[in-house]
Formats: sequence, C-alpha cells, structure tokens
Amino acid sequence: MSDKKSTIDFGFTEVPLEEKVKRVKGVFDSVAGNYDIMNDVMSMGVHRLWKRQTIDLSGVRPGHKVLDLAGGTGDLTKAFAKRVGKSGQVVLADINESMVRVGRDRLINEGIIGNVEYTITNAEALAFPDNTFDLATIAFGLRNVTNKDKALAELYRVLKPGGQLMILEFSKVTNPAFAKLYDFYSFNILPKMGKVIADDEESYQYLAESIRMHPDQETLKQMMLDAGFDKAEYLNMTQGIVALHRGWKY
Amino acid sequence: MDPKLLEILVCPVSKTKLVFDKEQQELISTSANLAYPIRDGIPILLEDEARQISAEEAEKYRKQKA
Repeated sequence: MSDKKSTIDFGFTEVPLEEKVKRVKGVFDSVAGNYDIMNDVMSMGVHRLWKRQTIDLSGVRPGHKVLDLAGGTGDLTKAFAKRVGKSGQVVLADINESMVRVGRDRLINEGIIGNVEYTITNAEALAFPDNTFDLATIAFGLRNVTNKDKALAELYRVLKPGGQLMILEFSKVTNPAFAKLYDFYSFNILPKMGKVIADDEESYQYLAESIRMHPDQETLKQMMLDAGFDKAEYLNMTQGIVALHRGWKY
Repeated sequence: MDPKLLEILVCPVSKTKLVFDKEQQELISTSANLAYPIRDGIPILLEDEARQISAEEAEKYRKQKA
C-alpha cells in the first residue's frame, strides 16, 4: 500500500484521504438549507433542463426500482417516484444527513409518499444487496466521492443485469472560447453569489475548484469500463459544462 | 421502519441482512457485530456511525432472527 497516494483533491487543495469526506460534509451541512435556490441562481435555471434530459433518457417504467444516490434534496427522486408508480420504489440515498432531511421534508410537503425511501449511505460501501436496482443515478455527486473507482464498482454491483447507471456531473467544456468565459464566471462571479445569497463564499469556491478537478468525459467513461460496466457512453450538455455518462450491466 | 426498505438493506461492511431492533431503533449486523442507528426514521448505514456490539449481543440478535 505504500505506493498508493495518501492525499486527494479537495478542490485545488490536497488533503489526507480520510479528510475529504469530513470536508465535503462540512460543505453540504453548510449549503443544505439554500441548496435548491442556489442551484437555480448559479445555473440560471439550466440545472432543471439537465435533470429533465436525464429523466427522459432513463427509460424508467412503472414497477422499477431506482436508486438516487447522492440524491440530496430530491429533484430526481421526485420525478422517478411519479414514474415508477405504486408498484415501484425509489431510494434516495446520500451520505449527508442534513441534505436528506431537507429532501424528505420537501417531498413529503409535495405529497410524494409511499414509494420513496430514505437512507444515509456511503457511495463507496453501499448498503444494498447485489442485483437490486433497474436504474441508479448519481447527479452532481460523484465529484465529491473520495474513491470514485470503488463507488463505480459498488454501483455496478447493486444494479440488476440489464440495469443502467446514469452519472450527471460537471465536466470539461469543449469550446475554448466558451471555456474562458465559464472560468471567469466560476472563479469570479460564482463564489461572490454564494456569499451574497447563502453567506457562504468558501463552499462555492470549493464547488468551482472541484469541478475543474473532476475527470473529463473520456477519463470517466474509461473508469466506468474499468469498474466493470459492459458498455459506457456519454453526451455533453451545454457545451460540456455538464456530461451525462451512462453505463450498462449485462 | 418501512418493511419495504428493510427488505433491500444490507450491512455496508459484510453485505448481509440486517436485524431491526425496534426498541433501540437500530439495525444490527450480526456478521460485522455492528449496530447502525436509525435517526428520525432514517437509517444511517455508515460504518463510522455504527456502534460496536459484543459477540454475545450479536448472538442474541441472531437467535431473534431465526
């Protein structure tokens, strides 16, 4: 084990491996209450379109079992709960208790009950049996996971044969001119907005940094194949600000 | 806790079935000797948050399961 890296990125800062999970927890404990409104403001509402496209491509049907990992405040869970119907089941799982509580309260308020379950679990050690889910999603969560290879292998394990994983995550902008503009926005405007709206500049600075540290489209696709997925592909959204990776277990 | 949820939960460490202790609001892994808390109806299936239980305690739950 001595040749293994003992530190990992937390945004642009290198931290000891065991430190990342605590720091990420700090960020999400801090942003949970304002998470939904900040998503709208920061992405100018476009995050809704990214999620909508993910849902449309999911192929979820009545009776399906869906895992919404890093499901946070429940955007995808809400949509899937409507699609799987009474005979289906959606499990909202997240490592962060604050986020799940906000999500559960919100979904209950909106009348989404009966086919949604809530659990706190670590993506690297999922608490579900093998071959359980027809679909697993992780939207804007993989970036924050310390050991991504382990998480991908766990997601593969809990999928049924024929099941699909969908990873929605910030990725690498493809057009260089647009990339410049996006960088300026991310590092100069975004943290200031975090300060004004959520009084939390640091968390949004981390957000911008962690996006730049995340593996690009091709790298993540290869990581999925290495983790065991039998087929993997991706599509870019909004010039690659976000990519949707899909992997299948046969 | 919802039995439909319990059905699809396993111990994240040993990947074996869990025993629900309603009184203590805990989920017990008799193979990893761990008790996972349920807070406000939400099971916390994190190894770091689990309570270590003794072999005797685990045995007691194992009998209960059988």
